[in-house]
Amino acid sequence: MNTCEDKEAAFFGKITAGITHELKNVLAIIRESSGLMGDIISISPEAVVKHQEKIQNSMVRIKEQIERGVNLTDRLNRFAHSTDETLSKIDLQETVEQLIILAQRFARLKHIVLKTVTPDQEGPAVTLVTRHVQLQMALFESLECCFTVMSAGGEINIGIHNLDGTNAVHVVCKGDLPEQSEFSRKILESKNWPVLQEIVACMQGSANLDEIEHGIVLCFPDEIGR
Amino acid sequence: MKNLKILLVDDEEEFVTTLAERLELRGLQARAALNGEAALQMIEADTPEIVILDVMMPGIGGFEVLRRIKAQHPQLPVILLTGRGSTKEGIKGMQQGAFDYLMKPLNIEELIKKIQEAIESHL
Repeated sequence: MNTCEDKEAAFFGKITAGITHELKNVLAIIRESSGLMGDIISISPEAVVKHQEKIQNSMVRIKEQIERGVNLTDRLNRFAHSTDETLSKIDLQETVEQLIILAQRFARLKHIVLKTVTPDQEGPAVTLVTRHVQLQMALFESLECCFTVMSAGGEINIGIHNLDGTNAVHVVCKGDLPEQSEFSRKILESKNWPVLQEIVACMQGSANLDEIEHGIVLCFPDEIGR
Repeated sequence: MKNLKILLVDDEEEFVTTLAERLELRGLQARAALNGEAALQMIEADTPEIVILDVMMPGIGGFEVLRRIKAQHPQLPVILLTGRGSTKEGIKGMQQGAFDYLMKPLNIEELIKKIQEAIESHL
């Protein structure tokens, strides 16, 4: 931990991680309480409990929402722990998948779907030694750049590739999009583009427009210098 | 499995008492301890056949409770409950002698399956 910014991030992460533990306990109590209601209904003779079917349907919805809450708190917890160390070894695919879940709400507000592209062939996981928080910020800013150009009903596909020995994240926009030159102009003029450039520069990486597809290519070194 | 004596250890009272009720409805004898000290005393007074132990508790933490249980009752199976999104704590617990771990919130059927496995492996 060197800078005040690192300490701030670590503090923010610690508090958030602590709260996610509490939220998990809340979800655990709700699950057990609704489970107990279900147990009691299932051992009661039929029709003894009024509106039994409605109660059961309602409990199914509670269960589904608990699953949703658990998934979100798990992801939020991992996100919070990403501030534990300034530099750490990171699984790039896992980080992309995590960020997609955490960014879903922002995409949903724009009626855009986020998807990961599964690597073509099974191989060893792509790992980087980098600043985990900055990596997530770079991925998020690249999505924000895309949001500024895309219309409702679009889709963003994020995949990992190895381009000439460099670890690359390919963010590709699909749907009703402007011509390539107009798409590029709008991205370059968006307020998020300079932010993205600043973050990738800190990570000794790069962010460029894709000249063939509508998208952005982020490149990161295997290990950044300390 | 019927009448199996289980000790549930967790500082979340609503969670642990509701879980105990659900296990009792399934024919198990579940008791609850709300902290590590109470758990260790209850184990000494009336040793259960299995312990379900939360890792993160105020006072004596779950790992320390696990260490003391294993020192006094090496054959008593312990299943840990962890709240973290990662498997790190569970694996650490297994290295310290826990039979296995489950993440909160629990799936009761999964818990019962795990209890069964633990009991069978300690026969």
